[in-house]
Amino acid sequence: MEALSGWGDDFFQGSVVVAQVFVASLILMVIFGLIGAAAKLSGNRLARTIAGAYTVVFRGTPEILVILLLYFGTALTLTAIAQLFNPEIRFVDVPPFWAGTFAIALIVGSYATETFRGAFLGVTPGSIEAAHALGLSNLQVFFHVRVPEMWRLALPAFGNHMLSLIKDTALISIIGLNETLFVAKQAIGATGQPFTMYIVVGLIYLGFSTIITLTVMGLERYGNRHLRQGT
Amino acid sequence: MSFDTALIVESLPKMLMGIGLTFQLLILSAVFGLILATLLMLMRISGKWWLSWPAQAYIYVFRGTPILVQIFIVYYGFPQLEMIRESVLWPLFRDPFGCAVFALSLNAGAYVSEILRGGVLGVDRGMLEAGEALGLSKTQRFVYLTTPIATRLALPAYGNDIISLLKSTALASTITLMEMTGIARTIVAQTYAPYEIFISLAIVYMVLTFLIQKLVARIERHLGRYTLKEG
Repeated sequence: MEALSGWGDDFFQGSVVVAQVFVASLILMVIFGLIGAAAKLSGNRLARTIAGAYTVVFRGTPEILVILLLYFGTALTLTAIAQLFNPEIRFVDVPPFWAGTFAIALIVGSYATETFRGAFLGVTPGSIEAAHALGLSNLQVFFHVRVPEMWRLALPAFGNHMLSLIKDTALISIIGLNETLFVAKQAIGATGQPFTMYIVVGLIYLGFSTIITLTVMGLERYGNRHLRQGT
Repeated sequence: MSFDTALIVESLPKMLMGIGLTFQLLILSAVFGLILATLLMLMRISGKWWLSWPAQAYIYVFRGTPILVQIFIVYYGFPQLEMIRESVLWPLFRDPFGCAVFALSLNAGAYVSEILRGGVLGVDRGMLEAGEALGLSKTQRFVYLTTPIATRLALPAYGNDIISLLKSTALASTITLMEMTGIARTIVAQTYAPYEIFISLAIVYMVLTFLIQKLVARIERHLGRYTLKEG
């Protein structure tokens, strides 16, 4: 355990990076999921086909492959574009933070697409009709009836998506992001204690997962508070 | 920048050389994972706290940490421990293949046990009461009623988990195993053609995903052949 002394700061920094990737990818994931769900529910056939292809591709490909492709692929493309303007440029560096964040947001977003779509369809038609009968406009129905019912339905699956995101951040260390797994590798190089260091990484992730699980449980209780009053 | 078709034609057979290893990882971890999952599920539904608590803790830890960290703890971490170096299991943990199968099985066990539990809890109470009324013992009810119905209920989710497991086998490439992704990474390092190589490999994985889905759907139809007639 004394091998850990001196590495606390580095692991803390790594955890901050994990949290940053998580927040950035969470926002992107929600955006991708909402666009995907809207496209799947739309009347436009092209939009539906593209959204269908999106979910099939990102759910059927290993995460690590998507991360590697996005990282090396964008580097190659950006280099080619940069060379059009300035042939002197040898190589454009893509920040692993953004390549990785985009990759995991795209992957989990493909799952979120189905969750959001299911939640949209899960809203009881009766409450929508009732709202219309009460003279609410389409926009009012959406924000005051559909959204409040939708987020409750989507919450359990959405919690799992958040857990997937936090766990997928570990994969970004493969393209050199300095998160906890990357810190552990350096610490092992210095101390020669791989078991200790990787267990520390495991505990950090377990901590993050616990925070997410507890938050989702709290939100579920809040979201369903009126449903339990009778019992 | 151009898309080099000749390179794909040349590399695809090389990558497919790794499909055997991918399948070995997938099938072995699926089998060991299912055995472990069944044990964990039985422990959880046993109603005895000293059996159900350890199972719950196990599931919590393995679902709350990234599979990559689990693989690294086994492959890089275990050799630090003298206890493991001197045990009879050392040949298993010295070998990256053994480590990958071990880590993937432990991980799959945690996820699959939750799926099986969902299936068992989904069995209609009335059915079990009918069995009791007919004089079936507790064991007989579990074997003849709960097991076949729970299997049918759990199968769709189990199919998705096998697909997750297939995607996780790609992580074996991080511990030097030359399965399909490992070979692809080597080729990309030599040719620097990430688009051609990674996209064609992604398609291979998508085909495998599709085949698993078809196979599971077939088994579902077979198991549900009695229920289908009624509907």
